[in-house]
Amino acid sequence: MDVLEKIEKTETIGAEFLLWLWFKSETQDGTIDIDGNQQIEIRIDGTITLENNETGGKVSCSGNNVMMKEARLALMENKRITMMTIRLILNGEDEFSFKLDSGWMNFRALKTPKVLQDFKEDPEGMFYEKIGLIEKAVAVMDSIFMKYIKLRISPEWKNDELPVLISWIGKGKNV
Amino acid sequence: MGLLRGAAGFSRYFVNGIPQGDYLEDFSQNIERYSFKGFDEFSEEIRTTGWVSIMNIFDTVFGQRQFYMYPYLALSFRVDTRSVPSNALRQHCLEAEHKIKVVEHLEYLPKEKRREIKELTQSQLLKRAIPRTNAYDMVWNIEASILTFASTNNKVCDEFAEIFFKTFGLRLSPVFPYSLAGFNLSKEGLDAAMLDTIRPMNIDGE
Repeated sequence: MDVLEKIEKTETIGAEFLLWLWFKSETQDGTIDIDGNQQIEIRIDGTITLENNETGGKVSCSGNNVMMKEARLALMENKRITMMTIRLILNGEDEFSFKLDSGWMNFRALKTPKVLQDFKEDPEGMFYEKIGLIEKAVAVMDSIFMKYIKLRISPEWKNDELPVLISWIGKGKNV
Repeated sequence: MGLLRGAAGFSRYFVNGIPQGDYLEDFSQNIERYSFKGFDEFSEEIRTTGWVSIMNIFDTVFGQRQFYMYPYLALSFRVDTRSVPSNALRQHCLEAEHKIKVVEHLEYLPKEKRREIKELTQSQLLKRAIPRTNAYDMVWNIEASILTFASTNNKVCDEFAEIFFKTFGLRLSPVFPYSLAGFNLSKEGLDAAMLDTIRPMNIDGE
């Protein structure tokens, strides 16, 4: 596979992962199971940015209502999600919020739970605590991403998941 | 730009290779070598970069290996830039041209002379300009060969990858969906080539 194909594939994988995440957050009451005993909740409640690869048309929708009609309609017009605001809640208490982009899976504006260590009193302790929190959010998102990837390359994707996902997208006009 | 305080924005990299031998000693010397030095008094550079402590951007002494907190190597990549506002440059040029015209009893100055005045004025103002400072934290988990860098700006990321290679002798590969999926599939003993079977989804049916 040449570089151009890889870039195209990357955009597809990233954008469709964000779409799947939004779909899961609405259809599974926001809970996602990954390996281990962690209880994971995903909420999409900030800005969603969608773009049309061919025409370059871009739409940004924001608001607390995750059913955002404009964004749902944009999906039906084959626009792809390029950035999404995500709230991640672990075990019902640790809450993270951030924007994730589809191209590079970069995190932006990541807010972690409050750090307890004081920087002036114990800078090293604060370092370990903060980096630990960042790594925790990244590890959970990577696990969810891999859950999606394994599903995407399995027969279950075409047979079970895709029809339900397409049906959910189609319901966008009735939101 | 910071990972430790406030909201963090960052990109991630795979570090290609594992440091060998007494690498901390070598790293210490190289970090010192590429540490932030600031603008030279006579320099006309508009940008200068280098390593500083992740705890304090004014700390550029690394003899105690403060950059190493097992299993992490943590530093900040400091970038100072300075510029002359175009309005100020124009005003100062006009002032300088006026003075010469008065002294030399001239009505007009040749184009070449005006160019010289502009260059000289720009150089003088640049040395007086207050630099803008940005520091981008980086945390390298040496055991996991994963690095987190607190910027998503392409230019800054490219500069960072370059100074990282000069300092540590290791190349960085950016994490993006395809590479992340391939890396993790391979780690689990699965065939990463399966990713090539993925075709863009069509909402009318795949």
